[in-house]
Amino acid sequence: MTACHQALGLACLFVGLAPPCRAAGAAPAAGVGEAIYLRGVTGAGAQLVGTRDDGLVATGVDAACVSCHQRSGLGSVEGRLSVPPITGNYLFHSRDHDGSVSSLPYVESLHGNRDPYDDAKLARAIREGLDSQGRPLGYLMPRFALGDADTAALIAYLKELDVRQVPGVTDTLLHFATVITPDADPVKRAGMLDVLEHFVAEKNSFPFKPSPRMWTSGKTQYSKSMYMANRHWELHVWELTGPAATWRAQLDRHLATEPVYAVLSGLAGSNWSPVHEFCEQQGIPCLFPNVESPVVAERDFYPLYFSKGVLLEAQLVARTLLGDGHPAARVVEQVYRAGDSGEAAARALTAQLAGRGVTVHATVLPAGAAGRAVTLALRKAAMAEDERGRALVLWLRPADLATLADVPAVPETVYISGLMGGLEKTSLPAAWREHTLATYPFDPPDRRGVRAQYALGWFAFRRIQLVAPEVQADTFLACSLLADVLNRMADNFARPFLVEQLQSMLEHRLITGNYPRLSLASNQRFASKGGYVVPLRDPGGKRAESNWIVP
Amino acid sequence: MSCHRRLSTLGVSLVALAAAGGAVAHEHDGQSPGAPVTSVREYDVPAVRLVRADGKVVSLPEEMNDGRPVVLNFIFTTCGTICPAMSSVFEQFEHRLGTDAATAHLMSISIDPEQDTPERLVEYARRFHAGPEWQHYTGTLDASVTAQRAFGVYRGAKMSHAAVTLLRAAPGKPWLRIDGLVTPDQLVREYRDLLAARSGARPVSSRR
Repeated sequence: MTACHQALGLACLFVGLAPPCRAAGAAPAAGVGEAIYLRGVTGAGAQLVGTRDDGLVATGVDAACVSCHQRSGLGSVEGRLSVPPITGNYLFHSRDHDGSVSSLPYVESLHGNRDPYDDAKLARAIREGLDSQGRPLGYLMPRFALGDADTAALIAYLKELDVRQVPGVTDTLLHFATVITPDADPVKRAGMLDVLEHFVAEKNSFPFKPSPRMWTSGKTQYSKSMYMANRHWELHVWELTGPAATWRAQLDRHLATEPVYAVLSGLAGSNWSPVHEFCEQQGIPCLFPNVESPVVAERDFYPLYFSKGVLLEAQLVARTLLGDGHPAARVVEQVYRAGDSGEAAARALTAQLAGRGVTVHATVLPAGAAGRAVTLALRKAAMAEDERGRALVLWLRPADLATLADVPAVPETVYISGLMGGLEKTSLPAAWREHTLATYPFDPPDRRGVRAQYALGWFAFRRIQLVAPEVQADTFLACSLLADVLNRMADNFARPFLVEQLQSMLEHRLITGNYPRLSLASNQRFASKGGYVVPLRDPGGKRAESNWIVP
Repeated sequence: MSCHRRLSTLGVSLVALAAAGGAVAHEHDGQSPGAPVTSVREYDVPAVRLVRADGKVVSLPEEMNDGRPVVLNFIFTTCGTICPAMSSVFEQFEHRLGTDAATAHLMSISIDPEQDTPERLVEYARRFHAGPEWQHYTGTLDASVTAQRAFGVYRGAKMSHAAVTLLRAAPGKPWLRIDGLVTPDQLVREYRDLLAARSGARPVSSRR
């Protein structure tokens, strides 16, 4: 690999292999290798073709290396199937005299029990399915029909996948950022920061110690570099200001001056898009921010969320209204405040109900509306000549819900967002509760049990005030997951590897906070898939597992 | 449930450790995989309700016991390695049986039902050009786990799953279980033998 290529490779790593790197005069080979690896498209724009021994043919994205060897190139373990790492280091590294490959970071599917590859042998492996010693590769590895130029491009890309230095990782420290948008709720912000600061302080109270390393041979060696899990954390709080159109530039500037390894938790008002796009394009893991209205892009890689928030709630309302194909309501009236999360929720619900024989109206409260104006608008929305077949859906916060005390006419069927309006502690007047169903993307309190108790105990012991319980529980959960996944990463820093390991380990966790279960995989960005619809006349009532709805 | 999870987690850790150690010897550079292992089993089909990819809520016993021979596997749509291979095998199986395929019932049950909505199953089925005799199923997590347990494929977490294919010639007959990645040729052969045995004819190849 030329020095030029190497420099380019390093530059690419610093911006996470984002398009701008390629645009800056990269050698054509760089883009082609990545296209083959990630998308199964050759230099000529044709579909990659991979053939296995039994004649099974995979084409295009189904044949792409990434499906098995992962974005990091570090492979994976699926049940009994072990997919080895294929970045340059692992392919070309010579064996130590005891047969191990001890100076490379440990990965679960690693084995060094073969001679190192060179470019020619690697080309042969890709095209003829033979390893460095001429033995057939594993059954699942296809043989690829690639010309010389494409093969060279792919091999160059595999070398690019080697991680030399990752921004935000030093010998002793891991740098994280938490992002707060200007319209974030100040009480939630304070609660979240309280949890983050305590967690980080506690993490850093453990002293450094050398990292033992174990190999499949059973030998123990002391690693030359410190394990991820033993490094201390430094938290940077990035508070965004001004209009959303300026946030991306602010984030890019923050990153340039304070390079971070990942974005941890964070808090949005009604808009998280610029932050989501920043993380995806810069190649930075964005771990479980507290957002009510996330970006839904399942094929993105770096942003991860606990749930779809109000968008999930809209789906729950739609599912409940539409029933088994016979809509429970013919007319739906939605109420939300302009610019708040309810706007996205209302849009989502309207889309869900489109073409299903339901008429949807909306009452929009202007952002600054207060007092009498709000009461009048709510009265109007609540009234109807014919109550039958009508549902009122309120995407409102507690202050607006409390105003309903001045609205005597209560419709037959009302839905509120538990996420926005509160569940058991909602300010909804008693007369309204009788008729209201609340959607909820979490376990209701009676079902949480030990999954959530752990966090509460942790808070109590450290005298952290519960000012925003759901946000604080989710923040603690995000921190715990990050701490856990670093344990699995040994001294492997690749950012995609962090995401891949989270995907692998998440389902095994017992402590899942306010969520009944969490699960991720590639092309899955939302760890919790469902929610409840809770009748508020009896919020504390026993709820069967069967009331969990996955839309 | 949490007790099961803990045990499953332990089991999974052991399996993963075994895999890490075992991986050195198997399924790797220079080693061809072990041949799939076949065995004859009896399974009770649990009375769970599943959701078919066409959106219909169905009873698993009714789906399985309509008289047709059944070829069954367990997949999830975001699986990167094993499931695409297994589903490709089903695709090839359909292809090689040709018109005979219409008399079989291929069933793929999702082990990640919360993610695998009927819409996602339709998309997955399209990827493998599934014919009308090959159906995909989802449902509640509980129903999926019950089905997985009934057929001895439940591993606690979807990432721990293994390649398994199950065949049954007719309701009431025992199941042929194939552990490991079966090739289309092998699957067609086993299927034909199974049908031949059902009708009383001597099977073409011997079976353990």
